[in-house]
Amino acid sequence: MELNQYQKELFERQRPVIETYGKKTWGWTIFFLLWILVGGYALYLQVVDGHAVTGMRDNVVWGLYIANFIFFIGISYAGAVISGLLHILNVEWRKPIIRIAEMITVIATIIGPIYILLCVGRLDRLHHLFIYPRLQSPIVWDVMAISTYFTGSVIFLYLALIKDFAIYRDMKLNIPKWKQKLYTILAIGYRGTPSQKRHIKVSTNLMAIMIIPLAIIVHSVLSWIFGMTLRPGWHSSIFGPYFVLAAIYSGTGVLICAMWVYRRMYKLHSLLTDQHFIYLGYIMMVLGAGYGYFTFSEYLTAWFGSAKWDNEVVSKLFTLSEYGWWFLFANVAGIIVPVAVVAIPATRKPGLITIASFFMVFALWVKRYLIIVPTLETPLLPMQDTRLEYVQYSATWVEWALTFAGIATFFLLFTLLSKFITIIPISEFGDKEQKKIATTEPAK
Amino acid sequence: MHSDKTLFMKKFKIFSLRTFILLIVFILSSNVKAQDQEATLIAPSLELVSVQKADRTIDCKVKIQAKVNGTFTKLPLLKVSIVNVTAAGETPLGFAITDRNGKATINVKGDGLVADAEGKVTLKAVFAGNKQMDPSDAEVTIKRALLVITPTVADSVYTITAKIVDISTGAEVPVPEAAIGLFVKRTFNPLKIGEGTTDTNGEVAIEVPKNLPGNDKHLITLIGRLDENEFYGNLEAFVEQPWGTTVSSQNKIAPRALWSNRVPIWMLITFILLMTTVWGHYIVIIYELIRLRKEEPHTTIY
Repeated sequence: MELNQYQKELFERQRPVIETYGKKTWGWTIFFLLWILVGGYALYLQVVDGHAVTGMRDNVVWGLYIANFIFFIGISYAGAVISGLLHILNVEWRKPIIRIAEMITVIATIIGPIYILLCVGRLDRLHHLFIYPRLQSPIVWDVMAISTYFTGSVIFLYLALIKDFAIYRDMKLNIPKWKQKLYTILAIGYRGTPSQKRHIKVSTNLMAIMIIPLAIIVHSVLSWIFGMTLRPGWHSSIFGPYFVLAAIYSGTGVLICAMWVYRRMYKLHSLLTDQHFIYLGYIMMVLGAGYGYFTFSEYLTAWFGSAKWDNEVVSKLFTLSEYGWWFLFANVAGIIVPVAVVAIPATRKPGLITIASFFMVFALWVKRYLIIVPTLETPLLPMQDTRLEYVQYSATWVEWALTFAGIATFFLLFTLLSKFITIIPISEFGDKEQKKIATTEPAK
Repeated sequence: MHSDKTLFMKKFKIFSLRTFILLIVFILSSNVKAQDQEATLIAPSLELVSVQKADRTIDCKVKIQAKVNGTFTKLPLLKVSIVNVTAAGETPLGFAITDRNGKATINVKGDGLVADAEGKVTLKAVFAGNKQMDPSDAEVTIKRALLVITPTVADSVYTITAKIVDISTGAEVPVPEAAIGLFVKRTFNPLKIGEGTTDTNGEVAIEVPKNLPGNDKHLITLIGRLDENEFYGNLEAFVEQPWGTTVSSQNKIAPRALWSNRVPIWMLITFILLMTTVWGHYIVIIYELIRLRKEEPHTTIY
């Protein structure tokens, strides 16, 4: 593979990242592995003793696991929509950030469904879902949609990586042989011929177009698991677009946080510029306003209608002694703060945008919890068992351990993947950047 | 001018005094009337209807209402007792609380009831009264009898044979010349489908029309009734037969249920269309990559 001067410099800056696995990286890896180990022990207890070790009971059958599932599938939108959309629109500033976005997509799509497996009581019957699928069930739609989406995300990431794999293969890296061999296999003989370039271009364009409606369908289907049931707080026609918007919103937030971490960790200030944060901040602001509008519309309708059960859920969310504080936090940190931080020029800075994004992402996780639990604590039929643990859900340490294990796995996979591929895609930068460095100072 | 004014004032004072006295008289009289009204208790009227059933029990159906402000009002949540009136006194049989329609049904065992010398049983419904209402009671006197209905099918003709026997003496004596009605149970009131008069054996055969709408298992409930007989009161017997046609609001071919294995066609088409489109694209991309692999030149292009 022939590289221009700009690409060579870009690669040389990132060469140490994929050649070495430093002490710091080892430290983080062990830290994440320890968390996963704790989660493994929690999982062992759950498998041996059953779901009695969790806070889930007859009435509240979904808890942290499902909140985590929706959360992770939501943040996977970072790659699907941001990367796909910016690719179609041929936005130049997308180039340094698309790899991070696509990595978030694939990793989050791996982690999310794991929580479904943790939530299923009879894992031994899991294969029944595939042997005896019922197409009328939103759960089956979900399984089909997520597996299709995951396949698409992997293809999308891989298409963007083929050229880079060819570069890694040809650049004589100081790496183990197996790694070199793996790069050769993954590069599938790409040598940069015009015909090969055309194949990649056709495939990438197809995937970029495909991934957007696919992502929208996936999260709509996910929302319909709730929306199709006649439960207060769930049975809403706007749940589809509401979930889709919230997913893109949280995905953008995670992308901003990841950008900030990589920028600091690998000193990529000249590539991941302040402008990138501001542009993504604008996207976040628009999405935040839209998400705020949906939230207002959803709860105003439920509150104004005052249907018996809807009213009960809404009153739980509005009462400070119940879920009021969390609801307030979810809306202030999840809507008002991110929009305000980007809207006010004085606060429109990478650091503040990242902090706002971090809290927004956490607020959106809380929001997912608030969608699930208060509704399940408001059953339509009278409860048979009125012990407090049956009436009110409270997550146990097992659920928290597995939640943090999932987050640790997310970070671990990110760490491992960023040691295998360059965070800034080399092949994305072509002649335009080369022409720029002919007239200006090269990026360092 | 001044005298006119004085005259006017005098007249006004006289008028005011008269008005005041009249007002006092009116208030006092209306108050007395109100007190009278409060003192008057509501006088409820109690109705008792007995229905002798084929299982030898008797349904004592009571209804209690009262005329309040010129209209009949159903009286709910009142305790009504049923007693067996005999020469020796009254034997309590049970009680029930009236529903929102002022109705209650007490089922009593017929065989344990004490009859008089003529074999007649007297049942009495008693409302004991309360702070607002006077006590009330109602009586029925009946002879014990049994209505039994038997379904038969002969030459594809559905027939119900009803037989009435007098059991007031302990022996089963056929009751002739009794008008029996045959009904079929419907959503609200039973529908009359035939009638007949018993012969000397106390029997009557009534043909059941075909094509009566039944449930999803073809079942219809047939009711034989002797209504308001001067000796026996009301008699009733049920039998359930699969003689109806299937009428069900449920769509059995493609039921809208969680356990249905029939997928709505539109859903199937949408699903196949979507999946084919997406996976078709994936296949195209994989094909493109296979072509890319095959087009690898032997030397690196620089």
